[in-house]
Amino acid sequence: MGHGRYIDPICGSHYKVAAGETLQLTYVVLPGESRDIDVAVDLTGEGANLEIKALYLSRADEKVRIRTLVHHRVKNCHSRQLIKGIAGGSADVRFDGVIVVAPGADGTEALQENHNIILSETAKVETLPQLEIYADDVKCSHGATVGRLGEEELFYMRSRGIPEKEAKVLQMLSFVSPVVPEGREEEIAAALRKL
Amino acid sequence: MLSIQNLHAAIGDKEILKGIDLTIGPGEVHAVMGPNGAGKSTLSAVLTGRPDYEVTDGSVTFMGRNLLEMSPEERSWAGIFLSFQYPVEIPGVSITAFMKAALAARRKAQGLPELKAGEFLKLQKEKMAQLKMNPDFAKREVNVGFSGGEKKRNEIFQMAMLEPVLSILDETDSGLDVDALKIVADGVNALRTPERSSIIITHYHKLLEYVQPDVVHVLKAGRIVKTGGRELIEAIESKGFDQF
Repeated sequence: MGHGRYIDPICGSHYKVAAGETLQLTYVVLPGESRDIDVAVDLTGEGANLEIKALYLSRADEKVRIRTLVHHRVKNCHSRQLIKGIAGGSADVRFDGVIVVAPGADGTEALQENHNIILSETAKVETLPQLEIYADDVKCSHGATVGRLGEEELFYMRSRGIPEKEAKVLQMLSFVSPVVPEGREEEIAAALRKL
Repeated sequence: MLSIQNLHAAIGDKEILKGIDLTIGPGEVHAVMGPNGAGKSTLSAVLTGRPDYEVTDGSVTFMGRNLLEMSPEERSWAGIFLSFQYPVEIPGVSITAFMKAALAARRKAQGLPELKAGEFLKLQKEKMAQLKMNPDFAKREVNVGFSGGEKKRNEIFQMAMLEPVLSILDETDSGLDVDALKIVADGVNALRTPERSSIIITHYHKLLEYVQPDVVHVLKAGRIVKTGGRELIEAIESKGFDQF
């Protein structure tokens, strides 16, 4: 799980990443699981790197909370967060993502993306990305979307003889593939088929 | 093989097809020409089962079956293929994965065993070579970042892989330069057999120089207003659609 030092888990997980170190965090929430993921990361040494990938698949009445707080405290640190998921049934999902860039933390590059697909009228997804930037020379971007499976893509695949269910699975697989941990592709594909 | 009778279709409250009658026999190539907004693309949408289009009256029989009761995938398995006017991008899905899924589903529906990986790749390679496509194409995500010509060629490639009984080419010639047009036309002609039929939908004559139709229909304001032979193409070229 990376090379960051584990600090003080008072509330959720708190990591500190020192100069030149890289921390990679990966979270997978499978159908049927309700989870509260609360992670705070301090980038405290120059050139520290952070990568967070999270995937959730929910189909019934799961409750998924993902909170990230990424604090760029010093210069030239990079962070990249990619959080993607699919919510069906009456699942209730919320993502809170805060990036703080401290005064003087120039050369910061921070990226945060949260993309969601909802499969039903009753699924609920809230996404709250926040940036607090107190330095001048920074590259920060964040993006959040909540969408549905594309009707055009579905029809295109079906017109080639791919059954509707399989077409949906193909679309969902391609959607989540950037956050599927290596070696777990089969497991995730199987979970998608049950959504 | 295809019999369309008094077909009426609408999107929402707007009626677009207002009573189409069209019969296509085995091995025939029919051109459907008409100005923009005549209902050409609606006709292809209804024949392939696109959601959002509602058939309000009439019937369509394909190889003895009620086509309108079939799902888009069932129509594909029965041998209908549409070359899309605007092919759709499917990020994250390679052409190989896409065609594999399509062929596997169809063979399953037909009660045939799945092709072995080697057989599939060989078939794919052959079809790509016929259409003068770079083999690396197979690894690319479906239509993502493709030029207009590449998208249309990819449609014809899929058609060659699926070997449809009835091909519907919806404005396949738009956006193609002469070289790409010839390759597409060769692909279409290569599939011509005494059993297979095509509908070529277009608003101009370019593709019809290379793929010669047996019958030409003029579609205007949701109705077929004229049916004839190739002489109609020339009449349209010189005097436009206003004469009908």
